[in-house]
This record gives sequence, C-alpha cells and structure tokens, in this order.
Amino acid sequence: MKPTDEGDAPEPRTDGGMFAGSDATQVTRKQRAREWFGEAVATPARIAWEDWRMKVGLSIIALFVAVGLVAWVSSSNWWLLDGVTLVEEPISNQGPTRLAPFENWDYPLGTDVQGRDLLAGIVHATPRMIQMIMAGAVFSSIVATAVGTVAGYKGGAVERTLMTLSDIAMTIPGLPLVIVLMVLIEPQNPWFIGIIITINVWAGLARTIHSQVLSLRENSYVEASRTMGMGTASIIQKDILPNLMPYVTVNFVYAARRVIYDSVALYFLGVLTYQGIENWGVMMYIAYDIGGALFNPNNVYMLLVPMIPIVLLSLGLILFSQGTDRLFNPRVRTRQAGETVSEEVDDSTTVVTQ
Amino acid sequence: MSTQKPRHTEDGALYRTSDPIIEVRDAEVVFGMDRGVSRVLDGVDLDVQRNEILGIVGESGSGKSMLASAMLDAVVDPGRLSGRITYHPADRDPVDVLGLSKAELKRLRWEDISMVFQGAMSSFNPTMEVRGNFVETLEAHDYDVEAGLERTREILRDLYLEPERVLDSYPHELSGGMQQRALIALSLVLEPDVLVMDEPTAALDLLMQRSILQLLEKLKQKYDLTLVFITHDLPLVAELADRLAVMYAFELVEIGPTEEILRDAAHPYTRSLLNATPNIDSGLEEMRPIEGSAPDPVDVPTGCSYHPRCPMADETCVEDDPEFLRADDGHNVACFHWQDAEEAVPFVLDGQEADR
Amino acid sequence: MNWFIRRTGHALFTIWAVATLSFGLIRLMPGGAAQIMTNRATRNNPNVDREVIARMVREQIQIDPNAPLHVAYYQYMSGLAQGDLGHSHWAGESVNSVIAGALPWTVFLMAISTVAMFAIALSLGAIMAYREGSGFDLGMTGIAIFFNSIPYYVAAVVFIVFLGHGTSLFPPRGRYPSSVDPGFTVDFIGGAFHHAVLPSASFIVTGYGLLALAMRGNSIQVLGEDYVRVARLRGLPDRRIALRYVGRNAILPMYTSLLISIGFMFGGSIILEELFAYPGIGFYMFRAIEFRDMPLMMGTFLVITVGVVLAIFIGDATYGKLDPRIKSGDESEAY
Repeated sequence: MKPTDEGDAPEPRTDGGMFAGSDATQVTRKQRAREWFGEAVATPARIAWEDWRMKVGLSIIALFVAVGLVAWVSSSNWWLLDGVTLVEEPISNQGPTRLAPFENWDYPLGTDVQGRDLLAGIVHATPRMIQMIMAGAVFSSIVATAVGTVAGYKGGAVERTLMTLSDIAMTIPGLPLVIVLMVLIEPQNPWFIGIIITINVWAGLARTIHSQVLSLRENSYVEASRTMGMGTASIIQKDILPNLMPYVTVNFVYAARRVIYDSVALYFLGVLTYQGIENWGVMMYIAYDIGGALFNPNNVYMLLVPMIPIVLLSLGLILFSQGTDRLFNPRVRTRQAGETVSEEVDDSTTVVTQ
Repeated sequence: MSTQKPRHTEDGALYRTSDPIIEVRDAEVVFGMDRGVSRVLDGVDLDVQRNEILGIVGESGSGKSMLASAMLDAVVDPGRLSGRITYHPADRDPVDVLGLSKAELKRLRWEDISMVFQGAMSSFNPTMEVRGNFVETLEAHDYDVEAGLERTREILRDLYLEPERVLDSYPHELSGGMQQRALIALSLVLEPDVLVMDEPTAALDLLMQRSILQLLEKLKQKYDLTLVFITHDLPLVAELADRLAVMYAFELVEIGPTEEILRDAAHPYTRSLLNATPNIDSGLEEMRPIEGSAPDPVDVPTGCSYHPRCPMADETCVEDDPEFLRADDGHNVACFHWQDAEEAVPFVLDGQEADR
Repeated sequence: MNWFIRRTGHALFTIWAVATLSFGLIRLMPGGAAQIMTNRATRNNPNVDREVIARMVREQIQIDPNAPLHVAYYQYMSGLAQGDLGHSHWAGESVNSVIAGALPWTVFLMAISTVAMFAIALSLGAIMAYREGSGFDLGMTGIAIFFNSIPYYVAAVVFIVFLGHGTSLFPPRGRYPSSVDPGFTVDFIGGAFHHAVLPSASFIVTGYGLLALAMRGNSIQVLGEDYVRVARLRGLPDRRIALRYVGRNAILPMYTSLLISIGFMFGGSIILEELFAYPGIGFYMFRAIEFRDMPLMMGTFLVITVGVVLAIFIGDATYGKLDPRIKSGDESEAY
C-alpha cells in the first residue's frame, strides 16, 4: 500500500529542533512546548471529543470522579470540611435491614442485611477504587514503558533479559498469582493493592512498546538525533515516547479494568479482608456470604446493586478506549480533519474502508 | 447514456484512432464525500489502439489510476463511474462494458482485459502458495487447470522465473521483482487481449524496472497484447510506449506519439513535467520542480484547471476550459496557447531531451 | 525445527521460573507460607519439639524451614521434578490426587468456553465487517461493548440467580447430575455438558465482545487490501473470497487474543468454579485459600500456570502451521 496508510500516527513534531543546534535550543524550548501542546494535546483532544463513545465514556469517568469527591468531602476530617456530610458513611443499623430499592427514598437503593445504606456504600467505596485504579494503571504503564523502551533501545543482553522476563510475566495467569500474593501479604493500602493486582499487566505492553521502539529506532529522525550526540534519555523522551501514546492509553484502560475486576473479585471472595464498606466487592461479599443472595430471591438486589457501578465504570473505560480509535487511526483522522484525500482516491482503495 | 461533451470538439475524430480496442468516452468518476462531490475523473475521451503500448502519465492524485480502473469497470466502491466504455474484441461484436451483467463482466475481466496493480507485494493472498492463486483463477473461469498451469509455466519461463520454484512458494518468499513478474504472469493466465498496468514498477529498483520493461515488450510480441501502462515516471514509460497520454487534475491534457511528445510537447504542463523528471544524465540542480500543488478533486479550479500553476495563463484560461486542439497528426492538446508553450516553458536541456 | 526447539526451551524456562517463584513465595516472603505453617503448628502443638514441627512442615510443603536456602531449594525442586506437590491437610490426601480429580473438569470447561467464544466472536465480527455501517453492525457493536463491560463473575451471579435458581433451565451448581454415575453414558456426558452451560456462558457472554470487534476491525482492514480487490477482479466466487481471503487473513492476528484469553480463563476459573460449586482446579485453589492450605494453594497455582504455559506452547506451535510467514523462522512469535 501507499506509505500514507502505514499508520504514521499522530506525530507531534518529534523532529522539532533536530537541526536547531546548540544556539537555538534555548530560545525555542518554550515555543516548542507550546507547539507540542497544541499538536499533541489540544488538537487530538478536539478530534477525540467528536466521537460519541469518547463523550459518553469520559462523562461516565467524570461522574465517578465526582462521586469520589463527594465521598471524600463527606468523610474528610479536615477542619473546613469536617462538618460537611453530603452522603452519610455506611454503618450498620443506620436504617431498617433488608430494605429493597426504591421503597424508602431515604435509602433509594435499599439497605443490606445489617441495615447499611447501599447507595452510601457505593459512594464511599469509590475513592479507594479510584486510588487503586490510579496506582495500578500508572504503575503498569511506567514499568512497561521503561522496560520496553530500555530493552528496545539498549539491545544486547539487557534486551534479552528484559524480554524473557516479560515473556514469563505474560505467561503467568494474573488472577491466581495475585490471589497468592494477597494471601501472603494481606495488604490494606489501596495504592498497594492496585499495584499488586497489576503485577504482571505491564508485560504485554512492554512487548508492544519494545517492538515499536525497534521499528522507530530505524526511523531517520532518531538516527539524526543520535548522530547529533543526544543522550539516550533525551532521545527516548523526545522521539520515542510520543509515538507510543496510543499503546500506553489502551494499556491504561486495560489495567484500570483489571484493577476493578480483580479488586472486586478479591473482596467478593473474601480473599481480602475489610474493615468497612471499602469496596463494591465487600457489598457483594456481604450479600453472598451473609445474605445468601444466590439462593434467596428476596436478597438478590443486594448483589445486583453494587454490580451497577462496576459495570458502569467498566463501560465508561471501554468507551473511552474505543473513542481514542479515531485519534490514533490516521486515516480516520485525516478524513475528519477535512484534508484532501485526492491521493487516496487516486491510488488505492483506502477511502472505501471507512 | 452519454452526451458528447460540449467542452470538447464536436469532431470526435480528434481522439479516434484507426483500430481501437478500447474506446473511452466521457468517462467520469464521482465520489460523494462529507465536504462535497469529489470528481476524480472528469470527462475523459481516449482510444486505445489495438496492439499498441499506451503510456498514461500523471502526478499521483491526477486520476490516472481511476482511468485504468474504469477500463474494466473496476472503480472502487463508493465511486460511481459514468460515460461509455466500449471494448472491441477481434472476433466478436463490440462490448458495452458498463452495460454488462455480473457474469459477463466477470468474463470480460481477466479473460479479455486484465490488470496489474501497483504493489505486487499486496496482490497475492499472503497465506496461499502462488500456485493456489493461479489455480483458483483458472477454476473460477472454468478453464482447464492443467493446460492453464502449463501455460503459466511457459509465461513464467518467458519472464525468466523458475516455474516450479515460484509456484511452490508463498508470496513472502519471493523478492519484489519476482513477485511483480509472477503477478504479470497471473494477469496473463487467461490469455487476455489487453493488459492494463497501474504503476507496475513503482516499488522496484531501477535495474529491475528496466528489465521488466524489456520483458513486457517481449510478452507483448509473443502473446499479441495491447498494453496500457500507467505511471508517474515519464522517462520510464517513454522508453516503452508508442503513444503517451498526459493527465492533469483528472482530465487528459495531451496525447500523442511518444517521439512527438518528447520533442514537441505542446502543453505547458507536459513540458514542465519533462523538465521536472529526473534524468539519469542530469544533475540535481538541473531539475525544476513544478510550482504549486495538484488540485483538490472537490474544488477544481475554474477554466483550465492548470491555470493557477501555468506561466502562460491569462483571463481566457481562468474563464474557459480549453478544448482539445490538434497540434499535429494524432497529437492533441488541451491548451489555448499551445503554440506559445515552447517559448514560455523551454526545455532545460533541449538537445538531450530531443534525442532521448 | 530450530524454532520448535527455541519455543520448547522457552516453555521449560518459564515453568522453571514459576516454580522458583513459588518457592520464593513460600520460603522467602516475610510471613511466607512456610512461616505461616510453622507458626500455626507451633501454636497448635505448643509442647512439640521445633525439630518435629519443622519435619512436619517439610513433609507437607517439601520445604524445610530450617534448612539452608540452597538445600531447601534443591529439595523443593527435586520434589516437583518427581511430580510431588505435597500433602493437603484440608483434603486429607496428596495434592496430586486432588488435582488429578479436578484438572480434567477445568480443562473441559475451558475448552468449551474457548471454542464457543471464538466461533461466535469470529463469525459475528466477520459479518459485522461485511455489513459495515449497517444497523446490524451498529447494534451489535453497542451490545458487544456493553456485554464486555460486565465482569464474568457478575454475569455468573446473574445467570445463577435468574437462569439457575429462577427457571431451573440449567443447573446452577456441580459438574454433573448427582443421580448419574460417572461413565461413558449419554446421561453422564449430556449432564456434564448441561452443567457446563452456565459457567461457559459467563465467560462467553462477557468475553466475546472485544474479540468480535477486533475481528471486525481486522476483516475491514483485509477487505481493503489489494489482494482482495485483485481476487474480486479475477472473478473468484464470493464464498471463496470470504473464507480463504478475508476470513483466514483476518483470523491470524486474533491468535494473540486466543492465547491471552486462555490464560485469563484459567485464572478466572478460581472465581467461577467457586460460584458454580464446580470442583475443578480453581475450586480447590479457593478452598486452599480459605483454609490457608499452603501445599494445595501452591500446587494448584503451579498447575494452573503450567497449564497456561502448555496451552500457549501448543498454540504457538500450531500457529506456525497456520501462517506460512512464520515457517521461514522470522522473529514474529504469536504474542
């Protein structure tokens, strides 16, 4: 096919300053940063926002961040916020027990076997979920990017070792390993739990990044930077990282979903112990283990209600990730931006495939 | 179906040849797009003479691939082709290509008119041995497979390939030049009369390009073919073609015998093109890129579509679209001022150009 | 062949690494398994000599908590090499026999889920690609995304409550009907499939979506390839183009997803088999966690991992047969 189709994705002026030399570098740095922001952040954000999946996905994610803030404000003991309680914390016997949803509007989603407000449970479990997601997603992205770029760029024994490690990490099934680690370590801290859950999630992304770096390394502008004597770190940062954004984004969402799925599962199964309603999985555990919801039709709602935020947040993340398609698929992007497509029309079948 | 274009001379004889095998009349290809209608082939009239080698030259994005696809009614999907394409077989009545049924069209393609795309690398099924691609083609057209494979081996040998080795290979196991030649063999397996080739050598190195051209000449003689050779590489096709047709902005701007075009190109665009194309003998500094850029198919300039880039353009050119004018016998040009072109756009190395 | 040897070495190396990892987890972690067991034994039998307790622990998990590191490692690895995974105090029998009874069921469940899920996802994705932009395509895309947002255990809960207990169309628990004796009978085999419906459906419904979308994307890309256009011009029948050109070339890149989902499902079996009270390997791993039965926990963990390594190895080996471009020994492995 023509070179235009080969996925030379958004390429935020990675060659900027390549010929700038020493004297011009300082002057252009600020300018370049602004230019970089325009091309790497502002324009893509606008294009992405045109996609309905992105709109819905981001709205859902924003909703959860807002709920997390509400919970944080409500439970904060900081002097300004101490008296502010938007949503009560879920505690035993705060309401009648086993109240079904939509019956009493003081407890719109009902209460559990011990009279805890289910809505309050959903709200107050959100901050810890967000912390776990952030920890897991950031951790796996950083490790993967570091391993992938260093391996791809350094080559030799370093590359072989790191890639073998990735292979092994990728082969080990995640959940059993995570469960074993949880049983042995018994962590409480949400950041730590998030990291343990994503303990081997980085491997897949590291491999992808590694192969991307290998092909990018061949590219002329990296060659040029190298000949000019730029350091490894600076080359990775300027030339390579921007091209890896699509993969990092997709992995970010994948890791986030893993954290949601696995953390809920771990609490649901009672692998992780809890002090209060600190996870939607805890609510499911109470319904399943104490309420016998699987067999008792009257208590099924206790199991279903905490599933709503799980599915909703996961849906938001998937839509967000699907919405970035348009961003990272240059062909779609060109069409959206309304540039000329005469080349494609003349030379191949590409226009057809939108 | 088609009305004669008022834009062109009423006298159809201008672009008529003595024994055409394919007649293209008022061919137009339109894509509906978000920002308007994209006309990527705009009223082209052209005859392909039986047993000639016709070179069609243009920049990328000039509509030349569309013209090639149009000859087989093979324009890709949202594109709509209108006009009249007539195929004149040697032993049958003329065929109205655009009026064929699905089954008739299937027979016309590959059995009568065959095509070689640019990028042989991507024209074979990557997960099938080369042999399979030949066999399935023969089967799809109810040809005798054994006889067909025997013919294939002969064609492959004509192309200096080892038949068995090529047939037993997967596409990725062959070099680019080998794949290209195997693809030419595939296009000839059903013994067509016409072979339309769209940039068949674009991905190959110079040496391989030349050797494929020689092979094409040989094949043309042996199998009695008519060749339509589409390229952006004017010097390359000039070595091979009997006649040259030059496209600009989805229209034909000049057509004539190769010798004549090289010596006395009458359209300023053709002349610039000859100046811009690299000559092995000329240095880098002698090349003159054409100023400006190729027009957008949605928004083609009024009048002569070349006027924004043309050094000779005046008000007439902005307002009126030039008709084809006769520059010499069989040499037509769509330019009001063709007689002044030689002076306005002199050849960089006149002497060398002439004896090429 | 060279490729095959490299792959085999790779698989063996991975298994060795995982075994070493589990040794490390048991022995080295602060409060690791060996420590936990020793403490518990000491607590339960305060009068017994430390040496005796150490021997007891060692008998159970193949690791002598008092032996030097390298000796303990040697003992553990040689125990594993002989296929001895230790003794489960919860089951009251060797870990080996627990696993031998459970593993076939898990493999059965995984095989059904994988085959059905890929059959559905691949055909659906291809149809969506052919009807790109149609109402069918859009609707199916929406449904696929929504179903994919549901964790498999959430689907399992819904199935158990509404299809299992609600309508009793499908049995919500167990591996086969309790009234039937295991054997090569229609009742038994049919019953086993019947019991596998809901667990498999939990995986399939929540997992097919992204696969179908990936297949759709691949197919659309292949449909735009030159070789498909050339095939059409050559007059090949649509059926042949759909199967031999679009299908085959779009499916090949899905292989990575297949390998990943095998690992994912094996891991997920812990939760699913617990919910469905389906005594497979995951079910026993869960029991082991519940009762802090370290030998059983590490044994099931090892077996699950080795199972995934083997599945990937087999997958890799067959991929080389499917894609001729691999045969020539280039570096592109399946994942």
